[in-house]
Amino acid sequence: MSVLASLLSLMFFPAGISLILSGMLYEWADRKLVARFQNRIGPRWFQPLADTIKLLSKEEIKPHSAHNLLFYGLPIVALSGALTAALYTPILGFSPIYSFQGDLIVALYLLSLLTMCTGLAGWNGASRFSLIGATRSLTQLFAYEAPFLLALLGPAMAAGTWTIKDISAYAGNHWMFLAQPVGFVVALIGLMGKLELPPFDAPEAETEIVAGALTEYSGRGLALFHIGKSVELVVAISLVTAFYLGGIGNPLIFLLKTLIILLFMAMLQSMLTRLRIDQTVGMWWRFGALLALLQILVIVLLKGWLS
Amino acid sequence: MTTETLLQRATEILAPFSKGNSNPEANRLDVNIEASDLPAATAALLSSEWGYLSAITPTDLGKEVNKLEVIYHFCEGAAITSLRIHLPREDQPDIPSISDQIPVASFFERELSEMLGVHVVGTPDSSRLFLPDDWPNGVYPLREDFSIEQAAPVEPRETLPEMGRVGNKFTVPIGPQHPALKEPGHFEFAVDGEIITGARMRLGYVHRGIEKATEQRNWIQNLYLLERICGICSHTHTSAYAMGVEKLAQVDVPQRAQAIREIVAGLERVHSHLLWLGVAAHEAGFDTLFMYSWRDRETVMDLLETLTGNRVNYSITVLGGVKYDFTAEHSRAIHKAMDYLEERIRYYLHIVTTDASFLQRTRGIGTMSLEEAKHFGALGPTARASGLERDVRIDSPYGAYHHFPVSLITAENGDLEARFEVRMKELLVSCFTIRTIVDNLPAGELAVRFPRKVPAGETISRVEAPRGEAFYYIKSGGGESPTRLKIRTPSLCNWTSALNKSIGHQLADVPMLIAGMDPCFSCNDRMITVRRKNDSQTISWSQMREYGIKKYAEIRETK
Repeated sequence: MSVLASLLSLMFFPAGISLILSGMLYEWADRKLVARFQNRIGPRWFQPLADTIKLLSKEEIKPHSAHNLLFYGLPIVALSGALTAALYTPILGFSPIYSFQGDLIVALYLLSLLTMCTGLAGWNGASRFSLIGATRSLTQLFAYEAPFLLALLGPAMAAGTWTIKDISAYAGNHWMFLAQPVGFVVALIGLMGKLELPPFDAPEAETEIVAGALTEYSGRGLALFHIGKSVELVVAISLVTAFYLGGIGNPLIFLLKTLIILLFMAMLQSMLTRLRIDQTVGMWWRFGALLALLQILVIVLLKGWLS
Repeated sequence: MTTETLLQRATEILAPFSKGNSNPEANRLDVNIEASDLPAATAALLSSEWGYLSAITPTDLGKEVNKLEVIYHFCEGAAITSLRIHLPREDQPDIPSISDQIPVASFFERELSEMLGVHVVGTPDSSRLFLPDDWPNGVYPLREDFSIEQAAPVEPRETLPEMGRVGNKFTVPIGPQHPALKEPGHFEFAVDGEIITGARMRLGYVHRGIEKATEQRNWIQNLYLLERICGICSHTHTSAYAMGVEKLAQVDVPQRAQAIREIVAGLERVHSHLLWLGVAAHEAGFDTLFMYSWRDRETVMDLLETLTGNRVNYSITVLGGVKYDFTAEHSRAIHKAMDYLEERIRYYLHIVTTDASFLQRTRGIGTMSLEEAKHFGALGPTARASGLERDVRIDSPYGAYHHFPVSLITAENGDLEARFEVRMKELLVSCFTIRTIVDNLPAGELAVRFPRKVPAGETISRVEAPRGEAFYYIKSGGGESPTRLKIRTPSLCNWTSALNKSIGHQLADVPMLIAGMDPCFSCNDRMITVRRKNDSQTISWSQMREYGIKKYAEIRETK
């Protein structure tokens, strides 16, 4: 029975099909919102699904010099990383189905797996554009990863646990975005960096390096990377919502909260100009990391003082 | 200084080299010099700060005269000094290079050597600029005895050999097919990490042989051919050509026609600068501004369509006047559109000078000082952003600009921000000028009769295109078609500054730097027709004509 339940949860909910579909819907919502902000009409609701089907049915072209196993394996690893992370995350406000002490760290690293795979894929692609894109992806990873982690560490320290489930439960009784406003802002912007959304889209700046690390990918590989990215969008937004906007709760209200975050991100995406990679790194280490550290310091001091 | 004193000074400066002077037109001085005196004469002009090199006209005078003619045109204000050099009509005569004194001459000299077969001694880069890679050596399309059979494709030679890899430097190619460049040009940037250490370019992917083609068409047909040089500033080319030919034929264009031409030129500038704003914003990754500015550009496109019937090739100019009249209804439509556009342009001016995230990508990037702008021979808004006061509409007013002067817009900083600022302010000036002309449209005829044959002679006609000075050299042999037509578009002069300023910047700034000068590739490329073996796509003129007649008959039937 438990095997069947595990299989179901892996294949259908919260990971698997439902996650992929909801990823596409979030992607559509993001694209539509940005389009409306930019005075465009935007895609129809099934466009991400149509794109994926189209990509899956297309020929996959592998560059001669690319390593076979890496070229075909990396998209699968990237997608499965993002899907696995969903198992520990309160998707749609439901309590995560698996949980252990320290799963926060595991989930975050599973999410980073996508970026690492993108970087490796770019290096393996043997094209100049993908090589520069890969370098930028990985450079950017070092920029936002630490502040983002620190920003999620704030609620964890306040709750006194490393388990996503328990932190979310604690956050259900404490409105973290009021208690830790700085951490919330850093987490939100870190989210955009993680997803390489504008203004942090230097790794795939089309006007300079075509499609960045994924320039040489086509067909199935590209589709898997795209799905991986939209899954990551859902997982990461759910994580930030659960930690900062009132924890696990009514799925409808939870959905609404994630959409508010998405709206906010879409606004930032359409308002800001792309940062150069040196500006991205500078910004994160000069402000992001310091602010997150400051937040942690305040939490530590307050906890010491309260106890 | 008046034009007369300028020409007087030029005569004095060039006196030691002169082998005979003449004044073909009131604002022109023609000095015959020896090829060996060219560098010294150039140095003399430069050291007395007389003008800038505007163009080089290579001409084959034909078998009878048995000479090649190369003319170096220097402009200062309204005055033009031409250094005329005659070379023996043998294979590859020598002429010394002046690229060490004037960097932009490098492009002209490359064109000179590959088109006319002149050997430019000491030119820094002798690789092909316009001709295709599989063009045979020793075949020069501007020679009189050139025939298309000579240009049978040969084994392609590599015009741009791979730049050497030094340490961890490598080359990033941009174009001819690249998402950043919607137009066909090829650039190679050597990068060390993210920093640019070297830059090179190659043009000619859309060479259509227009200069040569004009010699086979009559004066009126050329108007429509030249309009198709550029899809953005098509009116610039027809007005430059029409003005030159009208000068040669001594036809006075009615005031009303001149005013209407200037209205269209102003609208064209508005649509061109708004297009540029969108492209430049997109290069910076600010897509919202891109979408907004292109939406607003539709206002002026619709207006142009209402006034002329076309969105791109307005075809409003005819030799001796214009085709369409403006009514009171039209002027109301223009005022209404200007109301909207002025408000939007003020908003964009505010955005590009205050938005912090946008300024991060433009302030202090690609800074070009006034001296550098002069040295590189920059033109148009690119030059004016560095404080260089160079605008043909003001320096040498033509057409309706005598009666409706425009004000000069310059900025001090010379960086990308200044170029945005200059272009946005120019838009406001254009809107104001359009309103003024519309309100004071002179009464009168639309066009006067134009003769089929134009008296022999040569003239130079300069027009301020949205990107800078467009230069036309027109020579008539007294017949129904020109004997030589030389076109130099502003983008060709701005490349030197863009490429030189990119070195030391980050790769991420390159699209912005290239976009900053508002390059127009189609105008750069004009001169060659390529026919490949067994190419079914090549059709002759008569076939084309038959096809056109058939097609139109079909369309008429379906209607």
